[in-house]
Amino acid sequence: MFRVYCFVVFISKKKILRYLLALFIIFSLNFILPRAMPGDPLTNLLGEEYILSEAALQELRSELGLDKPLTFQYLEYWKGIVRFDLGYSYHFNQKVISLILSRMKWTLALLVPSIILGAILGTILGALSGWKRNAVPNKAMTWAFLAVYSSPPYFLGIILLYIFAFKWGLFPFKGFYETGTIIDILQHLFLPVLIMSAFAASRNYMIMRGSVIIEKEKLYVVYARAKGLLGDSILFRHIFKNAILPVLTLVALDFGFLLSGALFVEIIFSMNGMGTLIYEALLSRDYPVLQGCFLIITIMVIGANLIVDVLYSIIDPRVREKG
Amino acid sequence: MRKHLFYSILFFVCLILLVSCGRQTVKSGKETILKIGTTKDGLRSASILGDSYLAGFAQLSNPPLMTMNRQGIIEGLLVKAYETSDDNTVWTFHLDPNLYWSDGVPVSPKDVKFTVELYGSEVPYARWIREILKEAWVAADHAVVFELNKPYSRLDFDFSTYNLLPQHIWEKIEDPIRYTNMGVNIGCGPFYIEKIDLNAGLILFRKNPFWKGQQPEIQAIGLHIYNNKDVLAMALEKGEVDTYYRYASSYPYSNLKRLEETGNFDFIDEPHLSLKFLGFNLKKKPMSEFNFREAVSYTINYEELIKLDLLGYGEIPNTGFLPRVMPNFKETPPLRFNPEKAKNILIRAGYTDSNGNGIREDLNGNDLRLSILISKDYLRLAELVRDYLRELDIQVGLKVVDANTWINLKDEYKYDLVISRTSPWGMFMHANWATGYFDSRRTGEGVLHTVDDPEFLRLCDDILSTTDETRLEVYAHKVQDYYAQNLPAIALYWNRIVIPYQKKFSGWSPNPLYGIYNIKNFLNLRIINQ
Repeated sequence: MFRVYCFVVFISKKKILRYLLALFIIFSLNFILPRAMPGDPLTNLLGEEYILSEAALQELRSELGLDKPLTFQYLEYWKGIVRFDLGYSYHFNQKVISLILSRMKWTLALLVPSIILGAILGTILGALSGWKRNAVPNKAMTWAFLAVYSSPPYFLGIILLYIFAFKWGLFPFKGFYETGTIIDILQHLFLPVLIMSAFAASRNYMIMRGSVIIEKEKLYVVYARAKGLLGDSILFRHIFKNAILPVLTLVALDFGFLLSGALFVEIIFSMNGMGTLIYEALLSRDYPVLQGCFLIITIMVIGANLIVDVLYSIIDPRVREKG
Repeated sequence: MRKHLFYSILFFVCLILLVSCGRQTVKSGKETILKIGTTKDGLRSASILGDSYLAGFAQLSNPPLMTMNRQGIIEGLLVKAYETSDDNTVWTFHLDPNLYWSDGVPVSPKDVKFTVELYGSEVPYARWIREILKEAWVAADHAVVFELNKPYSRLDFDFSTYNLLPQHIWEKIEDPIRYTNMGVNIGCGPFYIEKIDLNAGLILFRKNPFWKGQQPEIQAIGLHIYNNKDVLAMALEKGEVDTYYRYASSYPYSNLKRLEETGNFDFIDEPHLSLKFLGFNLKKKPMSEFNFREAVSYTINYEELIKLDLLGYGEIPNTGFLPRVMPNFKETPPLRFNPEKAKNILIRAGYTDSNGNGIREDLNGNDLRLSILISKDYLRLAELVRDYLRELDIQVGLKVVDANTWINLKDEYKYDLVISRTSPWGMFMHANWATGYFDSRRTGEGVLHTVDDPEFLRLCDDILSTTDETRLEVYAHKVQDYYAQNLPAIALYWNRIVIPYQKKFSGWSPNPLYGIYNIKNFLNLRIINQ
């Protein structure tokens, strides 16, 4: 454990500098990119016809901070990051941090169970399928997951809504809740979580299956068989943890991109999550919201990458020895 | 391991059954609630002042002073009478004395003065008020007077869109434009807002116990907000909502037959004010040449557009642009599909294919290569128009951008042709009769501002300087004649607006401006099967 600890400290010192540099570059791009888009944040605030004098327009620009030089805006942006003051959104009429937090909790409710379920189902079923790939049930499962993975999530969403909500009336059409009770929220989240889980599981399944097929040809598997271990024990006690490494990276990145939301699912199920927030902010050129969302996503993704690095070194002794 | 997997799957199936049983809904009891399905569009927050989409919905609880009747004429809603001075600089509005806020406080002219001044100082799209309002004061006979610093004849129309706010509540709010309230909002209409819950996709209105006017039969109105039109269509067919509303939009024509077949729906089917049009960048050749625009008008197959885009719910428009339902409509020559005539016009005007490469040249000898600037909502329509123009041996491409970019490029005149639409409000804005879209002195989201012809600008100024109905009728006809003779834009069709509703409701009375979403409509609604 002490050697693992030393290795973790060593990896942190070396990588943290790299990650900090990446953060700086991405945060700067985060400032530049929204402003590089054509269009104007003021447009959507002024409506179909505006009869404003030049002086009034300038006053509005000044209130939104759009009349300042870009270098000044850039410095203000960094000051905001340091103070964790992400500014105010005139399109959503809220402080950006409150807006993101209110959307974030629902996105977490939607995506965390999806990622976890998708990871568990995908890895276990993928491992079983890779271990006995010629078995008929496993072949059928492969085709099923391939079909799911090939289908756009919004298409699956409409199909499920049509069957479960429209035809059978079992689940609601929209929103995160109606009455606000736990059961009510579960009913509203069930179908979107099902779709997101199926989608994640299908990807994890494919990768895990391929990974197990490669691993089971290795010598240590033959040795385990020679020792007298039975089929499933070889799979889950030896092969699994070697085969799971690629899936682990993807699952960690899923958590990293968690707060980018699931735009298409949010649209189909009429949910106000992070996906629709970013999309609407993009369309209305809401710079503070775009900056705030991308900032948080950047931190999450970089953090997830760091955690994966550490996990790899814990799970795989080869990575520790190389370090 | 497999046993564990089996039990996990069994648990999951039991979970599905548990969660899906006994779907939880809000119980309405004996209360009659009208459930309206709508799409989210630009609705972003619970701020009546800051969110223009919410402000539109909030007119049930916080009505504007004026409204538009079925005939498209502006009349008082909260105002029992109003007058203006001869030079249109002094406007006096006499408030109905029988109005009460939903907390029991009487509505006063001070509320009107306060509201108008608040809009002028705080709301971006209403800042123009501050620029023209010299003074406002409360007068006798429950009236409020607005003195302007220049003549302005459209104040009554503008006052049909701003929500009246209670001074005794809003004067205490420190930052009104940033103020959001997801609970009870005090209103003076027949309904007040009980809650705004965007996570549940619901805005709930409850009957105002202090409303002294005509009593509605419905006790509450629920506005159910969907992010997706197809899901809304499913919910409507299932009966989760009673009707459909989306500003300036018909229910999707392709879904009407399904609803008809259920036998549960009746339909409002009326000519619509808003229309889609092909606009020209009059600052660039050849669009600035009338011959070119005339030729384009003959190359469009209007019947096909109506068949493919409207499924037959429309008619071929006139050269005068404005649809029949517009007040002071004048019959002008209809637009005609005649590609041979179009080609002849181009040849006579000098647009020929002299080098035989299949592309006509402009008057400078360059190949005619144009692009149509559109947002994605008009893609199919633009593809059809492009194909018609290609029949004229004009190379046409499509430039599809998001709305914000579209506005930016349009305002900088970085386009050749556009396809866009007018809205009902837009048809009345500025000097009325769609002039707001063309007058080069105006700007805004969908406004082309391409016409700087002194004749047209003078006409707009004449309209803006008078409230005399007889003179206005003459000007309205002159505007339509101008459109017919100059074709600054070509209406692609005049469409009908079709709104389905559950048969248990009757007495619908939409107005041209907001369709079914107007107070008089909800007061007139009757419930057939209680």
